[in-house]
Amino acid sequence: MENIIIPVADVYETAEEFVLKLDLPGVEKEKINITIQPGRISIKGEVDTTHRDEARLLLREIGLKTYYREFNLGEGIQHQAARAEFEQSVLTVILPKTDAAKAKIISIR
Amino acid sequence: MLVRFDVPRTLNTLFEDFAVSESAPSTRSFPALDIAEYENETVIVAELPGLKKEDVKITFEEDVLTLSGERKPYEIPQDARVLINENRVRTFNRSIRFGHDVDANRISADLQNGMLKVVVPKAESAKPRTIEVK
Repeated sequence: MENIIIPVADVYETAEEFVLKLDLPGVEKEKINITIQPGRISIKGEVDTTHRDEARLLLREIGLKTYYREFNLGEGIQHQAARAEFEQSVLTVILPKTDAAKAKIISIR
Repeated sequence: MLVRFDVPRTLNTLFEDFAVSESAPSTRSFPALDIAEYENETVIVAELPGLKKEDVKITFEEDVLTLSGERKPYEIPQDARVLINENRVRTFNRSIRFGHDVDANRISADLQNGMLKVVVPKAESAKPRTIEVK
């Protein structure tokens, strides 16, 4: 059976966008799947073993697993403009806000 | 004078998690380790997401291999509002004691895809031998 793990996440927002950061250690960039649709984003990443067949495992805390996590999204996100980066096994997903959802600065005359 | 406000609807409904399995994000020892023994070497794999190689220190002293280091916090814009903050471990220190002699001068390590791999070759005295029956 597949071992599904929820990856650790950090999320913050600025006036312009939402930023998700997820730890995906051991996942190759090609094995990451990001699906975004109105109201939801899901992120999946598969870990392959790093051990050769003849290994005698004395300690096994890492193991084989699939990372999977979903987030509900509110309105006001430009789905088409979403982008992602992957560095040091941290996946960063940037979700720009629509103009209507951006923080507004109103100057008082 | 400036007045600033956000659109509340987006803020309140965004990023409400729902679980897909019973396991919460890991709270075990950090970093998680695999130790694999081979005929001529022992390979230690550590999960170190978000670390660069200069953030990791590896020492070997008196049969003990120690992995230590610090995960640097992300650079977050000053005006950002944090919605989920699960990354709390910033420094770590884990040690592994070897019960056999190792060739300490040939220990090597590399860090790829957030996985640190340390190869610790066995000393000649610790390698398996085939004994010939005369």
